[in-house]
Amino acid sequence: MTSTQKQQQQAANNAEGGAKKKKVTAAQLRAQKDIAELSLPPTMRTHFPDPDDILNFELKIEPDEGIYKGGLFKFTFSINNNFPHEPPKVRCTQKIYHPNIDLDGNVCLNILREDWKPVLNLNAVMVGLQFLFLEPNPSDPLNKEAAEDLRLTKESFKRNVRQSMQGGFVKSVQFDRVLK
Amino acid sequence: MKVTIKTYNAVAYWRWDAPSDDVCGICRVQFDGTCPNCRFPGDDCPILNGKCGHSFHLHCVNDWIQTESSRGLCPMCRQKFEFEAE
Ligand SMILES: [Zn+2]
Ligand SMILES: [Zn+2]
Ligand SMILES: [Zn+2]
Repeated sequence: MTSTQKQQQQAANNAEGGAKKKKVTAAQLRAQKDIAELSLPPTMRTHFPDPDDILNFELKIEPDEGIYKGGLFKFTFSINNNFPHEPPKVRCTQKIYHPNIDLDGNVCLNILREDWKPVLNLNAVMVGLQFLFLEPNPSDPLNKEAAEDLRLTKESFKRNVRQSMQGGFVKSVQFDRVLK
Repeated sequence: MKVTIKTYNAVAYWRWDAPSDDVCGICRVQFDGTCPNCRFPGDDCPILNGKCGHSFHLHCVNDWIQTESSRGLCPMCRQKFEFEAE
């Protein structure tokens, strides 16, 4: 078992143990199943800052190809009591230069919004997030400048992404350093 | 940003008189068991078979249909969720 799997298992076990003490909600039960069934590629890791709380956790993505390769991107997941009828709330905790993520960390991904359905699981959401780094998409942007940049010349977009990942400025905005 | 879900980890068994999927896609509990809010399986927590071929606990799919964003669609295939009257 990898350490991540151990952690997932532990989080799942803790939620189960908690069932005897206090009533476990439908959202917790479903989240527990999703977490126990995660099968993530080595480029993604979950972390539970509070092992007793399976509804709030972190996801780290280290893309191994594409323009964002070499970066380490951090997201927080928070799941409310309407899960799985409502999608998890996902935010990027770093300020990054990406057409589908705004400067506050809000993420534009269809399955987290209009295309959410309760049969989608957390694994699908995580794989979808990773896809954003492999294929940033200029249509449907949250950061319009970055989208325009990508649409006009891919070369200049690439340069600006590299610049931003080093903690540099792009168009007078300073970004967080995200290199490993 | 749009992604398309190409695969689900859905497991299906065939058996008599039972829905084609073994677990309710919403709560992910087996149909032999109840939805998360009920204690006793059976008539108290029935299973609804949609005309589209997808089945859920009545209580689970009810919660979803009452969610505004569901627009009355099946959470599996996104066709209008209608069920067969017994
Ligand atoms: Zn159910
Ligand atoms: Zn029920
Ligand atoms: Zn259906």
